[in-house]
Amino acid sequence: MLFFENIRIAFHNLRSNPLRSFLILIGMAVGIGAVLHVVVLGKMTQQRIDKRLQQMGANVLLIRPGVSRRHGVRTAESTVNLKWKEADELLEHSAALSHAVPVYSGNGGLVYGNKNWSSQITGTTVDYQFVNNDFPVEGRFFNQDELDQRRRVSVIGSTVHKELFGERSPIGETIFIKSKRFTVIGLLKAKGESWTNPDNQVFIPLTTAQERLFGAAHLSSILAKMRSSEDFEEALFDIETVLRRSHRLSEDKKNDFRVRRQDFFLQAVQETNQDLADFIIVIALVSLVVGGIGIANVMLISVTERVREIGIRRAIGAKKHAILTQFLTESVILGILGGLLGITGGMAFNHFYIGEEALILWDWVGYSFAICAGIGVVAGLYPAFRAANRNVIDSLRYE
Amino acid sequence: MALIEMTNVSKSYESGSLKVQALSGVKLSIEANEYVALMGPSGSGKSTMMNILGCLDIPTAGRYLFADRDITTLKDNQLSEIRNRQIGFVFQSFHLLPRATALDNVELPLIYSGLSPEKRRARAMASLEQVGLSERMQHTPSELSGGQRQRVAIARALVNNPSLILADEPTGNLDSKTGIEIMALIATLHAQGNTVIMVTHEADIARQAGRIVKLRDGRIESDLPT
Ligand SMILES: Nc1ncnc2c1ncn2[C@@H]1O[C@H](COP(=O)(O)OP(=O)(O)OP(=O)(O)O)[C@@H](O)[C@H]1O
Ligand SMILES: [Mg+2]
Repeated sequence: MLFFENIRIAFHNLRSNPLRSFLILIGMAVGIGAVLHVVVLGKMTQQRIDKRLQQMGANVLLIRPGVSRRHGVRTAESTVNLKWKEADELLEHSAALSHAVPVYSGNGGLVYGNKNWSSQITGTTVDYQFVNNDFPVEGRFFNQDELDQRRRVSVIGSTVHKELFGERSPIGETIFIKSKRFTVIGLLKAKGESWTNPDNQVFIPLTTAQERLFGAAHLSSILAKMRSSEDFEEALFDIETVLRRSHRLSEDKKNDFRVRRQDFFLQAVQETNQDLADFIIVIALVSLVVGGIGIANVMLISVTERVREIGIRRAIGAKKHAILTQFLTESVILGILGGLLGITGGMAFNHFYIGEEALILWDWVGYSFAICAGIGVVAGLYPAFRAANRNVIDSLRYE
Repeated sequence: MALIEMTNVSKSYESGSLKVQALSGVKLSIEANEYVALMGPSGSGKSTMMNILGCLDIPTAGRYLFADRDITTLKDNQLSEIRNRQIGFVFQSFHLLPRATALDNVELPLIYSGLSPEKRRARAMASLEQVGLSERMQHTPSELSGGQRQRVAIARALVNNPSLILADEPTGNLDSKTGIEIMALIATLHAQGNTVIMVTHEADIARQAGRIVKLRDGRIESDLPT
């Protein structure tokens, strides 16, 4: 009974001071909005990282040409070229590696019937599928014969499939890659986008790519797979030994290639992501505290403004706890309104900033709501307590 | 037993190093259905006495029995309940909630008695009718004249059927014509069986009461029937 009355009184008072009420809510709203944004962003980045980790085989090292400056900042593509035979040498020389796969990648136009599309064309060897755990869901990967004989066969990614064939099976169809006839022999499983789209790719024999399509004798990269993640030091040492010797680098020269451990890169992303999240959470907490102090402040002002009202209510029989709950209800409602403003604001911000795919984490919406109500209680306790314990006569006589 | 039984009631205020003895050793007994006028010069302790009678304040010494209950031993919650159910207070400066309508103001005591909204509304409307304000129920105090405001306050004091109606200078803020109307209303309430204690400075108003108690320096100077 008194509960609904308190809510009615609270809204009555908030309405009679709309600007003040609104200004107070902004602090809370910004805090809650920031929390929701960070949490959603963090969750989405984590999902992408997880996906990426699934996409690439574990323990894969990416070897690319280029001088590694401090912290792996990339320099202009060097003139140094990686060679196919170096990939073979790596595998031969290093017990830490189970595979070393040469890769040549370029972009190229695809044509099927009257459809055009552009994708990455990746020339590689048969072992590629084992390095990346990437096996066809339909058809097959090319084999050693086809590689040796520079056959024009292709294994296509799911995006390419969708764009050129729609729902139809591509196996046995003829497509044109950079105006050259190819037969589609395999379709890879969809891996999903992360930072890049690995599904927008066509795999062909490396021989075909180098000699028939791109006219190149070098590689874009070598993918080396370690036997286990503990072999990293050894693998790195072996790779440096082999490649430095092959490139005839003297002692004083730096490496002219870079080795990147893919999961390390993701770890770094994850850590940066976490650092950023921590930082924003701290800011959010500060703004929540500030919001709470704002509510407490406004409630104290409200109590002072309404001393006579308190006196009147007490004189006609309101108990202390009735006054206490009246002011507490008001501050909780302030907190909740701040929370709702923050939640809707945060969601709207996520929608515009992240886009349609922005997650809505209902559990966090719930937490936010509870936190705001809690802040309302905490912030309102002292002012409400002061109001309830005022002397009745003094309150009545208060000017 | 009398409705009100005060024995040796004293009240002192301490403001800083100064100690003010507002009431000292007051002995007073009032029966149900009496109409008592409380008089005395400014600062003689009339309001202090009314506050204690109305359970808004408690004496620093002595005993006050209201309807056979020793007020000095009661807890704050119990005092609130007595104020709510048994006492109707009419103040000189009305003490209405400024942003609430007349009806809401009169309903207020009933909210704290836990009555349902329908019953509250019905009783408040009846009470406003009794003071002749049926036409002004949805007006806020600022939209009402002084006399109308005091009528609302009286309606609020009546709404819980109290055993005691206290009025501290109810006409103090009103012009003489309106004051006479309010006094007539209070006389009617008494005639209907209510116990009324009223503070006034004016002798001809006091003469309407059945008994005049005069205070001076916190003591009862005289206590005579009219
Ligand atoms: N809260 C208080 N603190 C300190 N002194 C007080 C307080 N209330 C009343 N007094 C003092 O107690 C004495 C009696 O005051 P009270 O208000 O009862 O007088 P009164 O008879 O009602 O006067 P008036 O006719 O002016 O209303 C006065 O001296 C007054 O200053
Ligand atoms: Mg007085």
